[in-house]
Amino acid sequence: MSSPQTVGSDSVGPILELRNVSKLFRLHKAKQRSFQEVFVNLFQMPPNPSQDFWAVKDISFAVESGESVGIIGPNGSGKSTLLKLITGIIEPTAGEISVNGRISALLELGAGFHPDLTGRENIYLNGALYGLSRREMQARVDDILDFAELGEFIDMPLKHYSSGMYVRLGFAVAVQTEPDLLLVDEVLAVGDAIFQHKCMNAIQEYRRRGGTLLFISHDINAIESICDRAIWYEQGEVQLMGQPTDVVKGYLHQVAENEEKAHTAAGHGRGVKDLEHGQRWGSGRVQIIDVQLCDHMGKQRSVFLTGAAMEIRLRFRSKERVEDPIIGVAIHHQNGAWVAGPNTDFGNVTIPYLYGEGEVIYRIPSLPLLAGGYVVSVAATDRADTEMYDYHDRAYLFRVHTDNTRERFGLITLGGQWELGKIEAEKQRRYANERIVPLK
Amino acid sequence: MQLSKHAGAKVYTRTGGGPFSLLHRLRDLYRFRALLYYLVVRELRARYKNSVLGFLWSLLNPLLMMLVFTVVFSLLNPNSSVERPAIYILCGLLPWNYFSAGVMTSIGSIVGNSNLVKKAYFPREVLPISSVLAQLVNFLLAFVVLFVLLLIFQTNFSPRLWMLPFVIVLQTSFIIGVALLLSAVNVYYRDTMMIMDVVILAWFFLTPVFYPLDILPRSYEWFGLEWNVHRLMYILNPMASLINTYRDLLYLGAYTEWDFLLRTAVTSVGMMLVGYWLFIRLSGSFGEEI
Repeated sequence: MSSPQTVGSDSVGPILELRNVSKLFRLHKAKQRSFQEVFVNLFQMPPNPSQDFWAVKDISFAVESGESVGIIGPNGSGKSTLLKLITGIIEPTAGEISVNGRISALLELGAGFHPDLTGRENIYLNGALYGLSRREMQARVDDILDFAELGEFIDMPLKHYSSGMYVRLGFAVAVQTEPDLLLVDEVLAVGDAIFQHKCMNAIQEYRRRGGTLLFISHDINAIESICDRAIWYEQGEVQLMGQPTDVVKGYLHQVAENEEKAHTAAGHGRGVKDLEHGQRWGSGRVQIIDVQLCDHMGKQRSVFLTGAAMEIRLRFRSKERVEDPIIGVAIHHQNGAWVAGPNTDFGNVTIPYLYGEGEVIYRIPSLPLLAGGYVVSVAATDRADTEMYDYHDRAYLFRVHTDNTRERFGLITLGGQWELGKIEAEKQRRYANERIVPLK
Repeated sequence: MQLSKHAGAKVYTRTGGGPFSLLHRLRDLYRFRALLYYLVVRELRARYKNSVLGFLWSLLNPLLMMLVFTVVFSLLNPNSSVERPAIYILCGLLPWNYFSAGVMTSIGSIVGNSNLVKKAYFPREVLPISSVLAQLVNFLLAFVVLFVLLLIFQTNFSPRLWMLPFVIVLQTSFIIGVALLLSAVNVYYRDTMMIMDVVILAWFFLTPVFYPLDILPRSYEWFGLEWNVHRLMYILNPMASLINTYRDLLYLGAYTEWDFLLRTAVTSVGMMLVGYWLFIRLSGSFGEEI
């Protein structure tokens, strides 16, 4: 067996190359799992050939040594199939895959672990699954133990572990065995924030040592920050490949469009008629009869991009003359936080009276909301706020996607500016000798 | 799967329906030898989990089995000419148990480890082979018991006793062949397990475990034809040949004829090659079939 491999050996050529790879799945209605079914099927029609399904269609790409490539795509886009082909779990129907080195793949939480063995034994078993010998593992086991931080749990059977501990152990083995190609699927989402941060650091460290990374994630921000190149993979095909920011942008626009279509197909979100009991109350002297969320062109949408224009259009009807009403909206984040509550009064707009039908529009020139789900409430009330004419409580949903802005924490972007002040050299010197004590 | 030298690094090229190369496959298997080791340990540990006597059962089990068979044997056949029936039976029973346990535990090894097969790449033959090797460990432990008994009951070992390890290797390769074949077929047809339950039982009675091969008729009329059952057994049942060899070496103290041994060797190794070939043919789609 070769000596422990150095990460990213100075080999020529790509570390991973796919050449015209295709994968065909035969979709059996019910798989013939027993002789009885085979026998019965002898007397039936042959299976329909149209049930064939190309999960991967003539894919070609290469990953160079030391590169970091991210793959994005919706669920069910065939990402897992692609990963399984690369790791060798399944074989391509056509084409060629060459892997120049050793792969560590974190495909799923606790894959390849055995619940009855202790954490330490599982480290060795997992290493063996990556094709490492006992001696190679012995040289690495201390690093793995350090990284996994399992304490006394390390000598307990795995069945007593939490899912977070599973991920820690799995990730520790995958990274610390210094593979030539590290393949990370969605698994990291399971750990707590501190561990996720640690994993990201470990991935960065691995990259600094020249390791090659293939990173599959829904977390487009992570893809943008870690990867040199991104691939948008959908329906068994590479849709777009290139700079992560460009690919992410293209992908998000597509996602927004698809969601839009889905909403339209479902009768365009919810109208006033769909309001459930308890979601609407008020005297009814003024009735809000239609609420539309629109883009700057006045086109109704349910998906918006951060920074884009948004209009909330309210149609109302009143059968009698109602003096000096106030129309307002409220925007809540899906987790319950009340983000904003503008109304005509705050906006210095006075409506002398309402009678008959009319429209009120609230325009947001540049949506400050960050990615997430939001919900709109609308209300018509009198100035003294003693009589509620009509109230639709959290009735109109919309989603926000964030693309080109780098902000991703919190609910909104404040649009503030950063400025670097003068750095005083003297003070720096004074602090240099002080040890930084981590905050508990 | 193809494996070729490229720029001094290991290159694994996987192609759909690429040319099969046993040598490359074996090299891959060697690379994953640590996995083989842990799977054997895991299987052995799982077996004795929550048992008081633990691995002592490997020693106790053959002793108790021998007791049962000896009693039954003496009751059924009081005028038997077989001397020291306990040793006689044990010489047949231990190799038989190794065979039947090796085959039966390995049949489900691919299906039973679907979590590994679907989530990680490794040469799939590691699974059935590790099941067989776990049984080999058991078999060797039981052999310790047998040797103690041999020393108590008899001293005339065969002058060719040194061939014993060779015979064990032959039997192991035969079992691995059967195990590879059946575990692969079981992925596609789960009936294999049920069928083999019965087949193994029939096979047991067709193998001279608790009766001497000589009681089989050399001439038997069946469908108007004359059959030499004794001879057929030798040719068609490798387990009969193997057990006969064990008896020659351990019980009779006899010389096993070279040509007989050679034929057994050809059958056993041939079985392994056939099993391995079929396994490789089928293993490509294990990841999606399970």
